[in-house]
Amino acid sequence: MTPAELEIVWLTLRVGALSVALSLVPGVLLGWLLARWNSPLRALVQGVIMLPLVLPPVVTGYLLLKVFGVRGPVGSAYDVLFGGRIAFTTAACVIAASVVGFPLMVESIRLSILGVDRRLEQVSRTLGRGRLGTFARVTLPLALPGIVGGSVLSFARSLGEFGATIILAGDIEGETRTIPIAVYSALNAVDGEAAALRLVLVSVVISLLSLLAAFAFMRRQRTQVA
Amino acid sequence: MSIVDLQIRHDFGRFALDVKASSAGPVLGIFGPSGSGKSTILNAISGFVHPQHAHISIMTRTVCRTPGGTVVPPHRREVGYVTQDALLFPHLSVRGNLAFSPRCLGLDSLGGKRVLDVLRLAPLLERRVQELSGGEKQRVALGRALLSQPQLLLLDEPMSALDSRLAREVLALLMEVKRTLQVPMLLVSHQESEMAALADDCILLENGRIAAQGPPLQILARPGRLGGLDNILRLEVARHEPERGITWLVLPGQQQLAMPLSTAAAGQTVSVGVHADEIILCRQRPEGLSARNVVRCLVDGLGAAGTDSLVRLKLGELRLLAHVTHAAVEELGLQPEGEVFAIIKSNSVIRLAV
Repeated sequence: MTPAELEIVWLTLRVGALSVALSLVPGVLLGWLLARWNSPLRALVQGVIMLPLVLPPVVTGYLLLKVFGVRGPVGSAYDVLFGGRIAFTTAACVIAASVVGFPLMVESIRLSILGVDRRLEQVSRTLGRGRLGTFARVTLPLALPGIVGGSVLSFARSLGEFGATIILAGDIEGETRTIPIAVYSALNAVDGEAAALRLVLVSVVISLLSLLAAFAFMRRQRTQVA
Repeated sequence: MSIVDLQIRHDFGRFALDVKASSAGPVLGIFGPSGSGKSTILNAISGFVHPQHAHISIMTRTVCRTPGGTVVPPHRREVGYVTQDALLFPHLSVRGNLAFSPRCLGLDSLGGKRVLDVLRLAPLLERRVQELSGGEKQRVALGRALLSQPQLLLLDEPMSALDSRLAREVLALLMEVKRTLQVPMLLVSHQESEMAALADDCILLENGRIAAQGPPLQILARPGRLGGLDNILRLEVARHEPERGITWLVLPGQQQLAMPLSTAAAGQTVSVGVHADEIILCRQRPEGLSARNVVRCLVDGLGAAGTDSLVRLKLGELRLLAHVTHAAVEELGLQPEGEVFAIIKSNSVIRLAV
């Protein structure tokens, strides 16, 4: 592999890790809300969160560009406050990867929290722990395998993110050229096939390892109650 | 002082709960069939259900007044909650479970040591909860609740998931807890034997309403109540046989009744209970039997109990009810004043606290 290709792999891993870091807290909160909140609004919230899973990634990217682009509400506000842009930067890659991986993370966390026996939470309450203490000492540790598994799953998803990224972040070497985008440009270039193949191989290996790790964590969810 | 004051009215649509009661305990029993509203009352006391109209006080402190009044959240109500499933935290050790409460008495403090002592928890401290037996789990659950220094201990069918031997062991522990730690308790159960052994005051709940309240023996012996501890006898202790684990009680007609070794002194009168279901009848005196007790009685009367028969036996002044099938009555040719032998395992004779 050439130094340029190594940099592409490194950028891809960084984007994946940052997108997980960005999604983790909202992911846990929403997963908990969807598991424990009984409201007719829940289905709607769940639908909106799941949307990126079924929308064409290009459509997701377009909608994100409308929000984060220079003329979008967030993009223009960012320009006024900090000067500069979000779209077509590494940050845009992270945002695209987060949004597309988010449904996988939330669903996995929701299921793992659903697997925590509510009566354990009630016992914790009677023993004197408040809602937050109970969440931190009972719900969270028991759902941890699902939370880690969901994070790794969304990390794996971010490695393959192409459609939304190309629209929101484009193809800028060293900034937004992640593995899938690099593979696409390499295949379009003359004599690019060898480079594409090397990146494809790396991509397959990293993705497979991430998936295996995700499944291993999810299996560790302790569902039995003592 | 009353341990609990309850005024609850709640309409569930298909079922309405309407109770008003107060008890000085120290152990209050709530007895009734499933679906009579027992669990809802416990949930209202512990704070997981907010009834439409309620005024609930625990040790005279108001924890719930609806509509519009104070509603203390569950973690500030200071109740201990033990259910039929021990509900131990699977990610914590026994020690972690016991010390979970922020109100927990230190395990090394005087009070903490006493709880560990009474429940024999010290040898379990470093174990994983997954390695515990059913009875051990229930002991840990009880210890966890007691160490959180509850004002009131709620026991929701705490023995119903255990086999009868373990259930008896846990019952004995609860009696020991009552005696030594003096924690007020509210016991929900559908087992007459548990109720009679532990409760000082008893509420009979039927269809969301209180049908009766009073001492358990009086409530449980109400006519028409069957299927549980139907025979409650007051008998004198004759002697102990510690090496065989047996205590002998005096029966009329120079007969004796064996029960598991008791701490009561010889000459003392104790209350014991026997389930009508656990009495076997026989026309001839059987030989080579594992059961300790073969008691000669006369048939006093026969009655129907649903699809089965109820045979009333007499031994002098004593009356015993045995629950058998119609077929058995016919095959045995039971007639009033006929001689019959009642076979009772010594383990079926249950010592009652009252």
